[in-house]
Amino acid sequence: MRRIAVTPVRVAGAALIVVASAMAISAIVALLDGGGGAEGLFWSAVITVSVGTGLFFGSNVSPSADSALAFASVAWSWIAVSLAGALPFLLTGVIPWVRLDDALFESVSGFTCSGSTILSDFGLVPQGLLFFRSMTQWLGGMGLVVLAVAVLPALGIGGLELIASEAPGPTADRLSLRVRDTARRLWLLYGAVTCVVALVLFSVGMSVFDAVTHAFTTVSTGGYSPHAESIAHFDSFPIELVLIVGMLYSGANFSLHWHALTQGIGAYRRVSEIRWYFSLIAGVFAMLLWINHGELEWLQNLRESLFYAVSLGSNTGFGNSNYILWMPAAHVTLLVLMLVGGMSGSTAGGMKVLRLQVIFRYSFRELLRARHPNAIIPIRMGSTTIEEQVAAKVVGFVLLYLGLIVAGGIALSGLGVDPVTAFSGSVSAIGNVGPALGEAGPTSNYLVFPRAGRVVLMALMALGRLEVFPAMLMLVASTRGIAQLRRRQRLTHSTFSH
Amino acid sequence: MRAPTSGFAQRLTGRLLSWIASFIRTLSKGKIESAVGVTVGAVWVLSAPLFLICSLADFLDGGSDFLPLLLTGAAVEIAGLLVVRLSSFPPKLPISRLFAAVVCGALAALIAVTAAHLATGVAHNLDVALVEAAATITGTNASTINPELLSLGMLLFRALGQWLAAAAIIIVLVRVLPHLGVGGLDADGGVATRSARRLAPRSGSTMARLVTLYIALTGLLGFAFLLAGMPFKDSIVHALTTISSGGFSSRLGSIGSFDSAPIEWVAIFGMFVAGTSLPLIFRAMRRGDLHRFVRSVEFRVYVGLIATVTFALLAWSDGLPSAASIRHAIFHAVSSISTTGHIAGDFNAISFGGEALLLVLMIVGGMSASVAGGFKVMRFMVLGQYIGRELRRSVHPTVVEKIHLGRSSIGETALARIIGELFLATMLLVPTVLVLSADGLDLEGAFTFAVSIMSNVGVGFGEFGPLKHLGSVGAFGHLVAALLMVIGRISITPVLVAMGGIGEPAQSAIRRWRMARREVVIR
Repeated sequence: MRRIAVTPVRVAGAALIVVASAMAISAIVALLDGGGGAEGLFWSAVITVSVGTGLFFGSNVSPSADSALAFASVAWSWIAVSLAGALPFLLTGVIPWVRLDDALFESVSGFTCSGSTILSDFGLVPQGLLFFRSMTQWLGGMGLVVLAVAVLPALGIGGLELIASEAPGPTADRLSLRVRDTARRLWLLYGAVTCVVALVLFSVGMSVFDAVTHAFTTVSTGGYSPHAESIAHFDSFPIELVLIVGMLYSGANFSLHWHALTQGIGAYRRVSEIRWYFSLIAGVFAMLLWINHGELEWLQNLRESLFYAVSLGSNTGFGNSNYILWMPAAHVTLLVLMLVGGMSGSTAGGMKVLRLQVIFRYSFRELLRARHPNAIIPIRMGSTTIEEQVAAKVVGFVLLYLGLIVAGGIALSGLGVDPVTAFSGSVSAIGNVGPALGEAGPTSNYLVFPRAGRVVLMALMALGRLEVFPAMLMLVASTRGIAQLRRRQRLTHSTFSH
Repeated sequence: MRAPTSGFAQRLTGRLLSWIASFIRTLSKGKIESAVGVTVGAVWVLSAPLFLICSLADFLDGGSDFLPLLLTGAAVEIAGLLVVRLSSFPPKLPISRLFAAVVCGALAALIAVTAAHLATGVAHNLDVALVEAAATITGTNASTINPELLSLGMLLFRALGQWLAAAAIIIVLVRVLPHLGVGGLDADGGVATRSARRLAPRSGSTMARLVTLYIALTGLLGFAFLLAGMPFKDSIVHALTTISSGGFSSRLGSIGSFDSAPIEWVAIFGMFVAGTSLPLIFRAMRRGDLHRFVRSVEFRVYVGLIATVTFALLAWSDGLPSAASIRHAIFHAVSSISTTGHIAGDFNAISFGGEALLLVLMIVGGMSASVAGGFKVMRFMVLGQYIGRELRRSVHPTVVEKIHLGRSSIGETALARIIGELFLATMLLVPTVLVLSADGLDLEGAFTFAVSIMSNVGVGFGEFGPLKHLGSVGAFGHLVAALLMVIGRISITPVLVAMGGIGEPAQSAIRRWRMARREVVIR
């Protein structure tokens, strides 16, 4: 009973304290800016930190750790953080209390690094709140790194252990033997990259505020921008170029980056996933160039196609134009990018390139086996083979992922959204992209979905971010925990009565 | 009284089938040992009577197409005889050749039907003729032609084509697919659920029983249509295309143009039967034991899906449900899941949510061992179980579980095959949607139409109206659509394996060259 109930509470408390500090920083930003909202941010920080400390110190870590516990911790703290993240929107009065679900949507979209917004008039939103909004994505990305390092390997559904099998050497898997150490290194890298991106963005002409917020959302592949027109607001090619590089970098595996930094650039060459990642984006870029060549002027075409290939290929969701005006064929290619997403072990969402690779190999093996029924063919990735168990996990994941997309699409269209918007919205939400197709394009916002539909999208975002399996298992673990609690109670009752 | 007659009909069909088989066998004593040659020749030889019947019907009706049909039929017959005469069945048949034979058999049928379309002038271009032929032999209700302008001969030709193709599917199901392991009856390493098990120890008698049942059902349906007030010719055409889950109609507005409740109910019944497993129907009919239906898990899910979608269609539509709207909701659900593609009522009034659900039904398709297209209910049930197993496995990593469907368990090989098939189909869908959307369809239309023709339905959603998609794409789109229909019908694995088989000599040459080069390098 203890194992289930206690650790998640403590982890959630710690996460809340972190979020509270983000709120405090945002309050300072709001004070400096003078655009209001400081008070609301301050009070939400106070509330969050008091709840957080209460949870943190009122519980302790259970002695044994199993995988179900880890999932439950991550999933519950994500939920706690999302609830807390809705507070600033409500307390600053940007979103009225009657639209509680919208505030929650904005918060969930932030912490899951999706970047789909329901804010329509950015002029009325205090700068401090916009800063907080970007910061939620940055923190969400940090949480993800932990998820990839500490939780997913236990599940075996495409965390680092798949990469590990490819990169030889003793420290390949987790960079270090201890999870805490690994996470610390990755956070270091994550923070450093953020600083670099911010500095470069500042040097190419963004204001300090814009540079920092965009750096936050680029490195976390979130895609929030403090401007309604997103990147199109700046209309500057250098800025776009910097963002493209930043998004490409963040859509790739962070532990791989660490290896590359410590062991030299050759580390990239050892992993086949990165080749797939780049070829996918390059392929879509070429496709978009070809599809758009009659529609756009060639320089414009080059710029927009490259930007969107990278922005959606890394599931960031920044926009520099309105791709809804493009040809339908271009939309199909963009949808594929949204579905696949970035590399595993990155902050990008989606199905992940690695899983696509496994699926490819799996399907082609079936073709070979149809021809040679007695052949025993291993699934190869680069120079290593993947265990059957792992392949089965990946397959199960992808099936569930596709199933959830279809279910979400049906639910949304059942609520009266046209099918293109509904299904692309479903893909975009579960892949944590942000913009979708149809009415929910990059220049639009998610108010085009009905209120109930936004709840569906919110659930999809959370499921997608938690890589589906942990989220499902959280439910399993919780019901199991409750059942155990009941059993314990019944036991004590019977001992007392005797 | 029923038992002796059905026994007699069975024996007759069995006799006929075995006579045809021995006829082909005696003919094929040629020099070239090729299963492909025999299959292609057999398909041509056997499809010639179809031309003859239709030409005769057209002659009696006074139509203009009787001579072209007769001549094409004669040409096809001669070509078939020639090919069969030149080739002989090899004593040993490797599995890749078997795949190739199946695919080439389908292509042979495609060529024959294309020739008929070109010769009669129904289609002016090769691409149109090809896609019409593909729609005919795969039982897809996608067409660029107004059926009301067709002569009786051609109308009958297309309907009979769909019917015969579905009959051929039964034969392939019993005879060939078990060897390929792609989910036929009682497949080797395939899926043998109780509703899709062979009926008799010999595949020949199983085949005879199923074909007899199929013919009897067609007759029954035609009679029912006639009773419901449909004109004689129309009821023949519709009986043929409904029971085969084909969907071609003699009217522009499909079944809906009759605007008659009894006819629609008969069509619903026919489509429902077309999507049901034939062996299951046979067993239930033979013993008069309707409880068999209830006992079949797959049948329960099949009915459950239809009921759920019908309910959702009604719930998501505007206005209160009336008798007509309930009928139309059932009609659309059954038409989608049985991959027939008949249309009735106001198709444009379907809500967005209903559209999404109908699309899902199209992907799901009918029961296994039915003549319907799609991915099959049973396979999706297996996939659902697979996901559940993986979820349980992540909590208990060492657990060993077998996937069960009703009382039968599914082998790992079959499981992997089903999953591979699904992924390959999905991967194939992406470029198809790309081509169709580049060739003139909007995104919604392209996606729904691609899914629909891959499941051999043919009806699409979007701004074009249900049956206008094929006419809205260009020549390249037609070719891709034709290819997709054929792939959807004989499932993707055989096609790709056969294609691999074609490229095999080249592959082995490359391998030899590489080995040689490596040896040089080593030296």
